[in-house]
Amino acid sequence: MLNVFSDPFMRTALTASLIVGAVCAYLGVYVVLRRIVFVGAALAQVSSAGVAIAILTGKDPSLMSLLMTLGGVAAFSVKSRDKRTTQESLIGVGYAVASALAVLFVAKSAQGEAHMLDVLSGNILTVTSQQVWWMAAIAFAAIALQTLFHKQFVYSAFDPETAQASGVRAGVWDLLFFLILGVVISVSIKLAGTLLVFAFLVVPGVTGLLLSQRLGRICAIAIAASAIATVAGLYASVRMDLPSGPAIVACSFIILLAAWVVSRFR
Amino acid sequence: MRARSEKQMRQSSSEQTTDILAFEHADLGYGRRTVLADLNLVLNRGDFLGIVGPNGTGKTTVLKAMLGILKPLSGQLRRDSGARFGYVPQRQFIDEVYPLTVMDVALMGRYPLLSIFGRASRRDKDFVIECLRHVGIVDLAGRAYRELSGGQKQRTLIARALAGEPQVLILDEPTNDMDIGSEHAIMELLKHLHDKDGITIVMVSHLLNIVANYAKKLALIDGGLRMVGKTEDVMSAKNLSDIYEASVIVAVCGGKTVALVGGQDA
Repeated sequence: MLNVFSDPFMRTALTASLIVGAVCAYLGVYVVLRRIVFVGAALAQVSSAGVAIAILTGKDPSLMSLLMTLGGVAAFSVKSRDKRTTQESLIGVGYAVASALAVLFVAKSAQGEAHMLDVLSGNILTVTSQQVWWMAAIAFAAIALQTLFHKQFVYSAFDPETAQASGVRAGVWDLLFFLILGVVISVSIKLAGTLLVFAFLVVPGVTGLLLSQRLGRICAIAIAASAIATVAGLYASVRMDLPSGPAIVACSFIILLAAWVVSRFR
Repeated sequence: MRARSEKQMRQSSSEQTTDILAFEHADLGYGRRTVLADLNLVLNRGDFLGIVGPNGTGKTTVLKAMLGILKPLSGQLRRDSGARFGYVPQRQFIDEVYPLTVMDVALMGRYPLLSIFGRASRRDKDFVIECLRHVGIVDLAGRAYRELSGGQKQRTLIARALAGEPQVLILDEPTNDMDIGSEHAIMELLKHLHDKDGITIVMVSHLLNIVANYAKKLALIDGGLRMVGKTEDVMSAKNLSDIYEASVIVAVCGGKTVALVGGQDA
C-alpha cells in the first residue's frame, strides 16, 4: 500500500482528501443533526454554478464560487414565516436552478466542459501543495470556531426558543454555522468535487450517529471513518484505475454498512 | 440549592409588592398581525399566575413577550432588569434527534451565566446536579434525553431552567400529553418550587382544571385579557361561560375545583 502513496502527487492528494474529509465529516455530524443534508448538496451545486459563471466570464473561479455560496447561505439559512412553503422547498429550488445554471453556462463556454467535469466529480490527484495549505487553514479555522462556540451552536439548534430567551441569539449562531459550512464547501469543492464533498458531509456523520450516543465520540468516529475511506478509496482508485472521488464514496458506504451491522447487534 | 431557596423566600416576603414586570396597554403580535390587544397585566414577586384561554388566542404570545423574545407592537412592557427568568418550553418544540444526556440538557441552563467562550466549571456541574436532585431525576443524569418519558423530560427542562438560578419560572403547557399521574407530579413539583423555594411561577395551559387548583392568580385570555384576579374569583361559571362561549359549570369535587362544559348546574 505504501508504494501507492510514495509519489509526491499521491501524498498531496492523500493529504488534501484527509483534510477535506476531516472538516466535512466533523461539520457533517451537525448537518445531519440539523436535518439540513440537502443544504450541503444545494450549496455544492451553487458553488459549482459559481465556477461555471467564472469559466464563462473569465473571472476568478474561487472568488465567484465563494460569492455564490455565500449568497446561497443567506437564502437557505433564513427561516421563512410564509406557511405556504417550506425551507426544504426553497433548498430544492436552489439545487435545481444552480444545477441548471452550471450546465447552461458551461454549454456556452468553449473550454468549460472538461473543467466542469473536474468540478463535479473532482480530481483530487491534480491538487497542488499550495491548495492543500490553504485548505488546511480553512479547515483549522472551521473546526476551531465550531469547537469554540459548540455550546451556542448546539443550544440554538436543539431548542432555539429557550436559547433566544436566555440571551443566546439563535438566528445569529445559525447564520454563523451556515457561513462556516458555505466557506468549507466552496473551498473543498475546488479540491475534491461536489460528489465527494457532499458524501463527506453526510456518510461519515451517519456512521458516527449509528455507533455512539455522545457528540464528542460521534465526531471522532465520523472523522476516523472519513480518513479510512480516503486511504482505502485512493488506494483502490490507483490499483484498479478508478476515478478517485467515487472510489472514496464507495469505501465510505462500505464503512457505513459495517457500522449499521455493528449497531444492529449491540 | 437550599440556602438559595431560603434567601429567595426572605426576598419574596419582603418584596411582595414589587412588580417583576408590567404590561401597560401593550399590543402583542407578529409583523403587522396583532394577536393580543391592549394588554394590562402585572406580575408581582411571589405570584403563581396561570394564563388560560382557548387555543390560539395568544397565551404563548404573552409568554414570549414576558421573556423578551417578542417586543410589544405598541404600548409598554416594563421588566425588572435585575430579575432572572427561567423558561420551560413545550416539550414537542425540542429537537430530540440530538444525542444529549439529561446532564447535557440541564447544563444549558448555566450558559447565560457563562462568558461567550466560557466552559462549565466543576461548580457549575455540581449546581446542575443539585437541580436534577431537586426535581427528582439525579439518577437519570447520564441517560439520553430522547429516551425519557414525558414526565422525565419535563423534569429535565425544569431542572435546566432552575440551573440559571431564576427568580421567575415561566412554563408553556408543562403537562401537555401526560397521563394524570405524571401531570399531578409535575404540578406538585411546581407547587413546591413556589411555596418552599419562593420562585414566582407563570404557567400557560389550556387545561383549566389543572391550573385552577394550583395557581393563586388567574388570567383569562381570549384575543385580549378578559379577566385577571384571584383564582377563586375568576373561576365562576359566568366568567368561564363568557370566555369559552359554552355553558360551563364550576363545582368542587373531592376538594378540587372543576369546570365542566355542558353539564347540569350543581
